[in-house]
Amino acid sequence: MSTVPTLARSYEALRPKVLQRLLELRSTLDPSLGRLDDATARAQIGAVLDHLGNFIATGDLGLHRAFLHTFLAMRAAEAQSPASVLAMLVAIGDTAAQVAQEAAAGTPDGTELTLLLTRVTASTARGVNDLIAEELGRRVAQQTELTRRAREGKR
Amino acid sequence: MTQQASPIRIAGDTHVGKVRTMNEDALILEPRLGLYAVLDGMGGANAGDVASQLARDAIRDFVLHRRAELAPKALLEAALVAGSTAVFTAAQQHRERHGMGTTAVVCLIVDPKHVVIAHVGDSRAYLLREGRLQTLTRDHTIVEDLVERGLLAPEEAERHPYKNVLSRNLGARAEARVDLLELELRPGDRLLLCSDGLYGYASAEAIQYLLGSGDAPEHVTRDLIEIALRGGGGDNVSALVIEAPAAAPSSTQVVRTSGAVAWWQHRQRFLQVASDGGLTKNPIVRGLAPQEAIELVALSLCQAIYHDLEKSTGVNVWTFAQNLAAGWFERGGDWKAVRGIVDILGGAARAVVDDIRARDAKLGFLLDVAVSRALIVVELALGGLLAERLRQIDSDLIELHGAALDTVEHDTLETAPPIEGSIERPGERPADRPGERPAERPSERSIDRFIDRPTIPFLRPDRPVTSSGESSEVLGAIAKAITIARGRLSPRAELVAQILVALETVATDSGGNFAAAVLAARELYGVRSVDNAGVMPLFDALDKARVVATSSVHQVRTSPAIRVRVLRALCIAHQRLVAAATGLVLEAVVPFGERLREVQVVTGELREAVARAEQRRADLERKFATIVDPSLPWGARGSTEW
Repeated sequence: MSTVPTLARSYEALRPKVLQRLLELRSTLDPSLGRLDDATARAQIGAVLDHLGNFIATGDLGLHRAFLHTFLAMRAAEAQSPASVLAMLVAIGDTAAQVAQEAAAGTPDGTELTLLLTRVTASTARGVNDLIAEELGRRVAQQTELTRRAREGKR
Repeated sequence: MTQQASPIRIAGDTHVGKVRTMNEDALILEPRLGLYAVLDGMGGANAGDVASQLARDAIRDFVLHRRAELAPKALLEAALVAGSTAVFTAAQQHRERHGMGTTAVVCLIVDPKHVVIAHVGDSRAYLLREGRLQTLTRDHTIVEDLVERGLLAPEEAERHPYKNVLSRNLGARAEARVDLLELELRPGDRLLLCSDGLYGYASAEAIQYLLGSGDAPEHVTRDLIEIALRGGGGDNVSALVIEAPAAAPSSTQVVRTSGAVAWWQHRQRFLQVASDGGLTKNPIVRGLAPQEAIELVALSLCQAIYHDLEKSTGVNVWTFAQNLAAGWFERGGDWKAVRGIVDILGGAARAVVDDIRARDAKLGFLLDVAVSRALIVVELALGGLLAERLRQIDSDLIELHGAALDTVEHDTLETAPPIEGSIERPGERPADRPGERPAERPSERSIDRFIDRPTIPFLRPDRPVTSSGESSEVLGAIAKAITIARGRLSPRAELVAQILVALETVATDSGGNFAAAVLAARELYGVRSVDNAGVMPLFDALDKARVVATSSVHQVRTSPAIRVRVLRALCIAHQRLVAAATGLVLEAVVPFGERLREVQVVTGELREAVARAEQRRADLERKFATIVDPSLPWGARGSTEW
């Protein structure tokens, strides 16, 4: 017997439609998605949607955080600001929730999936903010250290 | 005038306008008959209003008495003919009313989904469907007839002097040719019947906007007339709005109405849960009285969510989050406190939603999604602030790093003069060799090593050039000219002074190759690093040195012939020095270009590796997902350490 929850299966069934919607609307959803060519956008969005499916199935926040860490690092290497990465992830999650709401309007599964996707998006936004805040903490410490050294150098 | 007898909502009104003294328009609002019309009378003193009223009464009476006998279309057509006959007959009986007539646009509601529209003249019927406005009728004017027959371009019609001259009206003849249209109404459709006093003074965009505003028909009618009056009100204005019953309200409408109200009704619960959750103890509200903290933070968010639910936006919540966190971050506050307070408020919001969901599952679900979205907006606003702060710190760090590097360079210059090898070779940055700093002074060994180094072809140090072979007299004059030039420099022009020395060295060198120039340039270039200012200060200094040196030649006490030879020698030396410096710059850039290419290759490989890793991660996650224990609540099913 499969242990993958029903909602995860519903999400998997919906995934191609979500991907299609995101590809169509990516310019209006988020500028950073709009700037990407089709193949890159497909790969980036696909990675997020893959992970969302796994997160819905497992509910493992550690796993989610690890994914966000990698994703932020990857996008930072492509010169995307953390704020735009956050906006992009929220746009993807929100679109997935909207597609779920439209596709399964009125059905209990559709209702629950919509709500779950909205909450996953909230978790994602919080996770990204936590990571940005951690990075900020590291940089502030670095800044304090450099300022101290500069002050000592002047003396 | 508003009628609510049928499920279709209808409102109509008429106004004399700002110019006319008499209103010649007339309306029919007969919910019992399902009959609605706008008529616009015309024709001399006291006749226009008579015509429209005569036609109005005749049409209404005809429909009232004959509706059981005729099919809707035939009924309406015959009714308008009856109206025309009534006006025509009256005009024949009264000479002063001769020539009077009226337009008419009439709508007969057959059932809530089916209407018939009949019209004669230039009063119009519009349909607003799914936000788009379409004209259902074609004006019966001479100009429109010409356009239809292709004798006039549509754009010319607007400017045509006869654009208002009717080709058809009720009353010109006993008979009337009537245009008829059947229409299936869809949920939310809006019909507008109006006289030319409306569309002649209000743009189609304004009409579309007001019809699509979602306001009640009586408000739309009032606003339409108002906008025509503001547009000049040069004619009588009449508008009649018919609204088909809307479909079941969308989830957005439910949230905007019932959801927002339910949320606001539970505000005390929100405040209570926020207070119980420890909001008043959060560092952000330290210094505030508990009640003040609750009102300033919790009540503000509660209000912001309420207004955003009402308007289906996130702007109020966004502003709240910005105001809450921006001041705190500016004071050096940490993320933990903001995170804590948002968690407390989020908990309070969920408690309210759970309460509503317990009573009304559907509304509760919609509200749950909407409130969760509001909390996402909070996170987005906070993320923007954090990212901005990160950007500011980054730029501060860059400055601090720059200052630190300046200090190091300054110390190095103080302790050791420029030496060979100060230009980095690929993969040999001093930073890569901690503790290893070149400390040796220029020596024969380092010069040899430098000369042996491969360099760009046109600057090979051993390339033979014409020996200067100057006499001792010329060499002496060169030394004197340089001494004079140095004396003319300000103490701050150190680099120019160094270049003058280099010029003397190159000009008096008898080695017969470029080595002296390259070595001198190397010393100069070692003093300058390719920093933010680039290499231009070096070339500026080279130019200044040339000007100072050549102008100093004239102050040397010697023969003109010697001066000429000194000038020539200095100019050649300057050219060689500039060429050597240019070469060194190019040489210095080459490794960077190579390294850039290497970095690009490595970055490409890394990207591919990370993409593979992401794929692998997704596969592992999926694998993990198949062995997870579904009996545990979501969010606690896995605890993998990645």
